[in-house]
Amino acid sequence: MRIARIWRFAFRLALLCAAPAAMVLASDRAGAEAANNPERASRWKAISEQIFGDRKIEPSAALIRLDAPQRAEDAALVPVTLTMPDKDKIRSVYLVIDDNPSPLAAHVTFGPAADPSSMQLRVRVDTYTNMHAVAETTDGRLFGTVAFVKASGGCSAPAGATDEEAMAGMGEMRMRFAQGADAGKPTQATLMIRHPNFNGMQMNQVTRNYTPVRFIDKVSVSYGDSKIFDLATDISLSTNPVIAFSFLPVGKGPIRVVTSDSNGGRWEQSFDVPATTN
Amino acid sequence: MRALLPAAARAAIIPAIALLAAAVCAGSAADIAEPRDLWTGPMYGQTPRTLGGAQVVDVAAVEVLLAARPLLLDVGPAHRKPANFPMDRPWLPTHRSIPGAIWMPGAGTAPMDAGREESFYRRIGELTRGDKTKPIVVFCRPDCWGSWNAGKRLVTRGYTGVRWFPAGIVGWQDKHATAEVEPDAGWSAESAQ
Repeated sequence: MRIARIWRFAFRLALLCAAPAAMVLASDRAGAEAANNPERASRWKAISEQIFGDRKIEPSAALIRLDAPQRAEDAALVPVTLTMPDKDKIRSVYLVIDDNPSPLAAHVTFGPAADPSSMQLRVRVDTYTNMHAVAETTDGRLFGTVAFVKASGGCSAPAGATDEEAMAGMGEMRMRFAQGADAGKPTQATLMIRHPNFNGMQMNQVTRNYTPVRFIDKVSVSYGDSKIFDLATDISLSTNPVIAFSFLPVGKGPIRVVTSDSNGGRWEQSFDVPATTN
Repeated sequence: MRALLPAAARAAIIPAIALLAAAVCAGSAADIAEPRDLWTGPMYGQTPRTLGGAQVVDVAAVEVLLAARPLLLDVGPAHRKPANFPMDRPWLPTHRSIPGAIWMPGAGTAPMDAGREESFYRRIGELTRGDKTKPIVVFCRPDCWGSWNAGKRLVTRGYTGVRWFPAGIVGWQDKHATAEVEPDAGWSAESAQ
């Protein structure tokens, strides 16, 4: 508990210290580059070929929406919301941060207990970049959208004051359920996982060595026997990942989360769904 | 625990934290003295406001200077692929810089192997065609000692047109387009040894 409090305090302190820098940046005039210059388009082509091969990605505002702050306060904690209004057609969704060295930030595959209409994640952004969200429909087609995000330095920002502190309580999970959900309706939940998600680019300021990479690679969430989603991810996810999702009241029993990381760590935890939402 | 805390108590705690944070932040904003020689501490951290023998420039000054066709020298580090990065996920590092910049990743590292340091000077000699008065804008990101060190190296070697641009690519990209750059072939070939 004490460590948790120290950690929260350190985090707030970091935010407060970062605020003046953010304000300086916010005072600029418009005129930064547009999201669609040819060089950025050609990078996206290279990335999408690696991820999707020759599958065609159709632009769509109806099937996929991507909301990220145009100017992020903290590049190591950029909140991203993926919205899929036509939720019954959605099989999975990809989040790509074009200019991150590992551009594929997340691939979420939905199961029968999911309400795929919205998903929220917090990610690291290395430099001003395009972000792409691509929804895969149940008939195997791909639909994409793009947003330009101004944030930088998120990949080299240390996960905590020291590596030991950042790793304290690794694998601990918490889940918060939205209040006042109606019976029979989808319920929103937020999963918090304690994990430094070291990306190998953060330098230990004392030893001057790079902290070895250690990141969450899979998060699997089920409601009883029924899958809500599987998340495949890597180093673009923020320290202490926070994932907001929605599920259908179709399962029986608790919600079970299984998380694994790149170094063989595996953590499992169950959460009772509040009675009002059953 | 936290939920039970009365709102009034929380209202009192938040300003207290803010005050404390302000004090800590103000403390960290104090001037850092220029080291006499190269900085060999952590590469990421608060830098001095000045670099003796060089001019400190902001975005506006760089805009003006572009007419004089300076050498734009980016010394930002290259992305390192993590050792156990999964094979099946795309690894596509990119480096965006001021269009036309020469990127010499790690050229501000200290201490540096003598041979490598010589190859830095040799490469700069080639890029400036031996003109020690040529304007050179050296940069990486804010709070990056690498650009300070690289500037210091140039000043020490007798370059008189050195401009240190501490806002670097972060300041630049906020007002201008950036371009993808590859590591300078003349430098990276040497540094790979």
